[in-house]
Amino acid sequence: MKIVLDRPRCEGHGLCEEAAPQLMHLDDEGELVIDRDQVDDGSPDAAAASAAARVCPVAALRLE
Amino acid sequence: MSTLRQIVVVGNGIAGLTAADTLRAEGYDGELTVVGDESRPAYSRPALSKGLLREAADLTSHELPAAGHGAVELLGVGATGLDVERRLVSLDDGRQLPYDGLVIASGCRPRLLGPPNAREITLRSLDDALVLRERIASRPSVVVVGGGPLGMEIASSCLAAGCEVTLVSLGPPLLDQLGPYLSDVFVSAALARGLRILPADAPRPAADLVVTAVGDVPNVEWLGSSGLLRDGALVVDSRGRLRPEVVAAGDVAAFPSRSGPRRTPLWTSAIEQAKVAAATLLRGDEAPAYLPRPYFWTEQFGLSVKAAGELPAPGAPTVVEGDVADGAALLRWVTGGGAAVAINYRIPVPRLRRLGEAAA
Repeated sequence: MKIVLDRPRCEGHGLCEEAAPQLMHLDDEGELVIDRDQVDDGSPDAAAASAAARVCPVAALRLE
Repeated sequence: MSTLRQIVVVGNGIAGLTAADTLRAEGYDGELTVVGDESRPAYSRPALSKGLLREAADLTSHELPAAGHGAVELLGVGATGLDVERRLVSLDDGRQLPYDGLVIASGCRPRLLGPPNAREITLRSLDDALVLRERIASRPSVVVVGGGPLGMEIASSCLAAGCEVTLVSLGPPLLDQLGPYLSDVFVSAALARGLRILPADAPRPAADLVVTAVGDVPNVEWLGSSGLLRDGALVVDSRGRLRPEVVAAGDVAAFPSRSGPRRTPLWTSAIEQAKVAAATLLRGDEAPAYLPRPYFWTEQFGLSVKAAGELPAPGAPTVVEGDVADGAALLRWVTGGGAAVAINYRIPVPRLRRLGEAAA
């Protein structure tokens, strides 16, 4: 599946980075960077991506 | 692995939703039923008092990704009773749900100052927010009762909407929640934007609209005869357990803390507790215990603040970067339990947490 960031919604909380540090991080400016947007369905990375999308309080991450 | 086949989750806020998601992620493939007293999907409650009240608001800022747990969802239905011996949850539509595993995530409701049914305006649910949003659109004069984070966010939103706003607060706003230093920072910003602040014993000014934000009350009445309450509180162990087959999470649950059992009605706490509780239901003591790592944020009066660690923070902080007087700063407290706070300063939460924890 693919991780899609709705950038205008992102407020830079960075809770997603905590849930999936292997997939995304906030850069020095506090902007979210998706390091890897493709993850295999059912993999540990997919679980982390789901956790990242779920923890975002403004639902800026979507999985497609 | 457990042999549970029939799990019921009472509550469809972020705790109930996360618990249901986690059960599936942990491999549970039995029957799953989620009961929610609001007739809409789970949404983000923190967004209600922030973005959603703004005039030019993104009216979808509270929407969450659709649930993927595939549970039977009974929405618009409240739980009215629990029999832990017969393992039955009673619902207000007369149904009884049998379970072999139960997650209690029934949340909180606003504490009211007036009698019930007096149509007191508060802010807890999406419906509350939509009502308030409509009411402030005509720029009424507003009195907000309550100087906690919610009352201050409401006051800020009403001011931004062009209302004349008076905040009535028992003691300095945010003092109890954030400590003296941050209380001063917020109060200064609020006064500079035109908020009037009155002590609770002052004569209440006349206003077109009165909004109360004076705390919350856990929804535990339905558990009254369950035998699970201790002095009216739902006190759980460090894995969210009340019994091996009954766990609780979120605003309703009092988890162990350094100062005894304590409810922590915050977004990230609800999520973390729900993960622990769901895993514990399936795996018992093999599941990791809940480690309280409070994270709090607020947006009000032009200040966007993130805080990790133990609040209220006593005394004055060390300034790590920036300058509060210039509007942006990174602060840390080494006193108390240790905390790090970012004011109009973008910083990844893991870094903020490390800073706060290193300070402890």
